Amino acid sequence: MESWQEARCDVVSSSAKKLRKKLLLFVLLGWVLLIIGDRVDELRVYQGAQIAMYTIALASIVLLTGYSGQVSLGNGAMMAVGGYAAALTLNNLQTPIWSAFMMAILVAALFGAFLGLAAARLSGPYLAGTTLALAVGLPAIANQFSFLGGEPGLLFDVGFPPERFGEEFTQYKWYFWIAAFIALVSLFITSNILQSRFGRTWRAIRGNSLAAELTGIHSSQMKILAFTVSSGLAGLAGAVLAMTISLVAPGAYTLALSFALVTGAVLAGISSLPGVVLGGFILVVIPEIADALAASLGNEDKLNSYLPGLFVSVLLILSVIYTPNGPGENLRKHFHKKSAH
Amino acid sequence: MQKALETLLIGLSTGSIYALMSLALVLVWRSTRVINFAQAGQAMFSTYIGFEIASRSQIFWLGLIFAIVAGAVLGAGVDYFFMRVLFKHANSGPAAVVAPVIATLGLLGLIRSIVGLTWGGEFRAIEAPASKDGYTFGETTIPFSPLNTLIIATVAIILIVLAILFQRTNLGLALRASAYAPEIAQLAGIRTARTRTIGWAIAGGVGGVAGMLVTSYNFLTPYSLDLLLVFGFIAAVVGGLESMVGAVVGALVLGIGLTIILNYVGTSLVFIGGFTVLLLVLLIKPDGIMARGKVRRG
Repeated sequence: MESWQEARCDVVSSSAKKLRKKLLLFVLLGWVLLIIGDRVDELRVYQGAQIAMYTIALASIVLLTGYSGQVSLGNGAMMAVGGYAAALTLNNLQTPIWSAFMMAILVAALFGAFLGLAAARLSGPYLAGTTLALAVGLPAIANQFSFLGGEPGLLFDVGFPPERFGEEFTQYKWYFWIAAFIALVSLFITSNILQSRFGRTWRAIRGNSLAAELTGIHSSQMKILAFTVSSGLAGLAGAVLAMTISLVAPGAYTLALSFALVTGAVLAGISSLPGVVLGGFILVVIPEIADALAASLGNEDKLNSYLPGLFVSVLLILSVIYTPNGPGENLRKHFHKKSAH
Repeated sequence: MQKALETLLIGLSTGSIYALMSLALVLVWRSTRVINFAQAGQAMFSTYIGFEIASRSQIFWLGLIFAIVAGAVLGAGVDYFFMRVLFKHANSGPAAVVAPVIATLGLLGLIRSIVGLTWGGEFRAIEAPASKDGYTFGETTIPFSPLNTLIIATVAIILIVLAILFQRTNLGLALRASAYAPEIAQLAGIRTARTRTIGWAIAGGVGGVAGMLVTSYNFLTPYSLDLLLVFGFIAAVVGGLESMVGAVVGALVLGIGLTIILNYVGTSLVFIGGFTVLLLVLLIKPDGIMARGKVRRG
């Protein structure tokens, strides 16, 4: 009995050590980001904020699709829910900024839990179709209610950077700091969730839901939980997106955004959390390349509006056929084999 | 009373177009176990072809025939060059379950971008083959028009042709057999892979008709068929996703239901209404309204 307790203590202290190591890693990462943020120009700083936003959104997809095995095409819609919740909180209650972001998580998670009730009973195609319907329809719904601001949307202004940062400190850098901080914190928490009992349970359900249920897992409860957590993350990303464009409008959360997120997640490896940073980077770089190409081809309207989509879709198709589990798949397989022995 | 009858007729006309899209989705689902989200893109591409022919020749029906052919060729091409490759490569690991769904999404994006780059995003219109003004009885004019009649008639003809094809021909038997039990069908000497490609071609052609009919009273843009896809999917789920009769019945029920909301409640609630129907069916009767007994587990 005692030896069992000792062993357990060992496990606990070793996992606490791991946690401390990881925390240190994230703090270090934040430090590096700060230094980089000081060295590059305004546009890059702004793009850094965008990458941070995509990182959070992609983490929500990795958790849902990569771990619990549910395909949702509606994460863009959940982002919209978060964005509107944050804007309404900030505009009507005049509370501090962080409370708006908390509200975004809460409301989106609530929506997700409700949707998860339906989702837990649905297998792949049903869920995909339902969430697709949501992604197509949600902007239209937002147009119908006057308190959501209709087509032009609502303002979402997190304000100027605090004065103690000095006059050199620009608005974009302030966005970047907030976005990067939120991204780091949410990635840290998500990675811990995924390595916990919950992450293992989700993977078990994804692998074989019948076998998982036989070992005593409530698969539908766990699926709803995955949907809830993932929606909360997506909502947070939606609020960060709203911050970077100072606005919440139906036009910001299009079907194209939902598609782009799925693409980013697949490109980076659907079940790899570190991959989301790469995914976010790719999602920001693609429009940049497409714009440059469109400009060199004569800057026609058509090119500007459809070239990025072409790039995204071709990348998505190629990666889903040839590296469906992400570029690191083979490496990881190799690593798993080694660690199993 | 008169308004109720109008609602029913308009609902039938709308629902009959949904029926084509939902049939296309069900046809592919039965044979391939994939909800083909690219169906909207395929239908859009075929409709642009139909639009080109119809606006040059000034004959709507010629455009329709070309749309059917383009849809069928594209559908077969998607299965042959795309789905087969996909199933060969992406069949293991955590992404295996989600790969087909995501791949059809990618295809939807690809077709949309190609159409956008070719035709641009402008609103296009095809001259309707019949008048859009409602029939007049004495003093009163109802919203139901000759165009609506023509739409219902066209869909009815397509459905009859499909029914004959599936019930009375060897090809139809092969299609049904390879959807129902692919391995046994193969043992019985049916070339299931080729049959599946033919199924995709039929679905593509049917989708092309749906696109042309929607465009006969609505504008055509690279995005204009997204809602048709969503409502077609809802109709297919209402009908149970497995049965072709169910797809048609589900679509007609959905069409009439949404027209009731449109006429008696307001335009703003049409989409919410459709989405509510979808959630209700999934929660209460996930096998669709035509199902008896057996319960599907997720």
